[in-house]
Amino acid sequence: MVMNVTTTNRPQRERRLDLARTGLGLVLAMAAVLFLAVTANAQDDGAKLFETRCYSCHNIGGGDKQGPDLKGVTERQSREWIEEFVRSPVAMRSKDPVAAELFKKYSPTIMPDQTLTPGELDAIITLIKNLTSKNETFVPSGAKLSRAIVPGDIPAGKELFTGQLKLANGAPSCNSCHSVNGVGALGGGTLGPDLTAVNTKYRDPELIAILQSPNFPTMNTIFANHKLTDEEVVQLFAYLQNAKQLHPEASVVPTQAAATTDPGFLILGFAATTLVLVGLNVFWRKRSHGVRKEMVRRSKI
Amino acid sequence: MDVRLQISMVFHLDKCIGCHTCSIACKNVWTDRKGAEYMWWNNVETKPGTGYPTKWEDQSKYKGGWEKKGDGKPELKMGNRASRLINIFHNPSLPKMDDYYEPFTYKYEDLFDSPEGADQPTARPISMVTGKFMDIEAGPNWDDDLGGSPVYAKNDPNFSGLSPEEQQELFDVERLVFFYLPRICNHCLNPACVAACPSGAIYKRGEDGIVLINQEVCRGWRMCVSACPYKKTYYNWSTGKSEKCILCFPRLETGQAPACFHSCVGRIRYLGGILYDADRLVDALKVDDSELVEAHRNIILDPRDPEVRAKAKENGIDERTLEACERSPVYRYVKEWKMALPLHSEFRTLPMLFYVPPLLPVMAKTEGVVYDTANDELFSPIEKARLPIKYLASLFSAGNTDQVSYALKKQYAVRLFKRLETVGDVSEDVVNKALAECQMDAAEAEAVYRLTSLPTMDERVVIPPMHREEAMAMLDDDMWEQKGSAGFGFREAPIRGA
Repeated sequence: MVMNVTTTNRPQRERRLDLARTGLGLVLAMAAVLFLAVTANAQDDGAKLFETRCYSCHNIGGGDKQGPDLKGVTERQSREWIEEFVRSPVAMRSKDPVAAELFKKYSPTIMPDQTLTPGELDAIITLIKNLTSKNETFVPSGAKLSRAIVPGDIPAGKELFTGQLKLANGAPSCNSCHSVNGVGALGGGTLGPDLTAVNTKYRDPELIAILQSPNFPTMNTIFANHKLTDEEVVQLFAYLQNAKQLHPEASVVPTQAAATTDPGFLILGFAATTLVLVGLNVFWRKRSHGVRKEMVRRSKI
Repeated sequence: MDVRLQISMVFHLDKCIGCHTCSIACKNVWTDRKGAEYMWWNNVETKPGTGYPTKWEDQSKYKGGWEKKGDGKPELKMGNRASRLINIFHNPSLPKMDDYYEPFTYKYEDLFDSPEGADQPTARPISMVTGKFMDIEAGPNWDDDLGGSPVYAKNDPNFSGLSPEEQQELFDVERLVFFYLPRICNHCLNPACVAACPSGAIYKRGEDGIVLINQEVCRGWRMCVSACPYKKTYYNWSTGKSEKCILCFPRLETGQAPACFHSCVGRIRYLGGILYDADRLVDALKVDDSELVEAHRNIILDPRDPEVRAKAKENGIDERTLEACERSPVYRYVKEWKMALPLHSEFRTLPMLFYVPPLLPVMAKTEGVVYDTANDELFSPIEKARLPIKYLASLFSAGNTDQVSYALKKQYAVRLFKRLETVGDVSEDVVNKALAECQMDAAEAEAVYRLTSLPTMDERVVIPPMHREEAMAMLDDDMWEQKGSAGFGFREAPIRGA
């Protein structure tokens, strides 16, 4: 019996080994294909990263925007300087005269800290070097609307902005943090800037790029996992593009201070508190009422 | 059969003269302290009246006692566990201080210290809670003290079963009627206060059924105050704990009658041991209101029954305790004679304080200008009683008039029986008819008469030997552990928040 078992088992074990070898080969082959694909995409990576992380404020060869044109930056500054600046621009201001000059020039805009990995930074630097040497201008590949704007997009965009329509991927509506002059019951949020004149601040592809992947520290954390759909980008873009026309009185750079010191909000707070207290009193009016006094009062009538 | 002992009581209302000696005795012994000034563990109410605290019988306001639910099982009227938990920080059904009364004293110093002037100095009332001058608006028996009948008697919750005409008749000058209702804790078999306590501080003593609040465990949630339908637990605002009648257990344990029993001038109070079957308790609560009194009576066991005695001994009840139960005046009034009835049995707590309803036989009538208290018959029959039977039934038998009528008819028959014997101006036929109506023979009538009119202290109050040490041994497997660890009461002063 024992002999029998060993003899019948030997071919099976070999077959298993064969299977394992084939499997290993397959895995290796797949890994190789993946590696090739990754290296092939490496050139595109820089462009994609630049588009999502930098393009809303910077360009390469297209002129200054909210921030400076980055053409030739690699020639002007060292790799270490660029890396330190990107990590924490504000920290550089006090110790580096070049950085201080940049802050002065682009005031009041302050570049937020960026969380780029060294690899991502390398990809972007490669892209800048590449375009600078070829003397080409960066053209974003994705910052385009998925379809042409139709007149119905403006009111639809407004509904998305105010939150009357929910955003498909679960992000909070725009006006929980932003405002467009006069829209919404309380004039929108004041955490983010007023977006009334946003289309004069950003050019169309930049605005589209922001809507597609907002790279501001506050928005990034929220929208990274709750991106706007293509349709929503079109509608919101249409609305924001026309916000200035709908509200011509808005200033180009609206001040946040005006909204936070609005006395109306304070009054509203008091009114709401009073209302809640009155409501509680009405709801619990039967609580803690003695029996005797009420009985005596009724008997005397 | 699970035989247990309960120290039980009977108050004979036909003998109560409303002197409040019981209340004062209790106050002097137990509640003459800061925070307890407003408490009357024993109080005497005038009925009809709203009582103390005001309208305590109106459970639509106070949510005390139990309610029969769909499956017949009782549930606290305050609500289930969840709703009690929600309301734990703001119990909506508590009586206010004003519903009891704000305790007061007088500023007597002014009578002596006032400077000479044109007016006589007076002692102004001051609050014993705030220490400030106050206007006295109420007291623990306000209707009686100040004749507040138009307000207090009129609002008696027991009038709800009477027609407006019947109610009006009660207030005609010629018919005006009242009686006294002394109340202490009923030491119920199904105490709502125990069930409602979130801290588990209230317990019913196993060996004698006295319900007590452990002052060291009580956290002052006051759930017992609203759960007790008789409003016989009180919150001490000074110690932050609740208190109640303790049936003078330190006195009982040394063979003395409780202070209120001891001092009773009218000798209306009877105390004795009762054996009951704890296994039948839940079933007794599944019946309708009208059958509650009967069901309550049925769980009381005969201490002479050999089977009961055997089972009682199994549960550790001593032979001498059983002997005392045989002599229990409570057993005779409640079970043998069916003359004593529980107060408001519809609250379903199975109270163990029973009342012999008052007979109030004198009926006056006016003929022209003559106010005549005489009657064609020697004693006016109970059907013509000044207090409607319905009213008494609302108090003592959850609306079942048969139970009250029976108890009154017995008293009536005993009076006729003794009148024939001592004076002889009633016909024997009338007496026999009255006795037959309540299935009573001459021997029983004589026994009722003796226990009602001529009992000695030892006959009225039969305290079973407490055997406190044996009770402790039953509760504790290792009673020697207690040795040296129990001492003189509180180890720390009972201060609020402790």
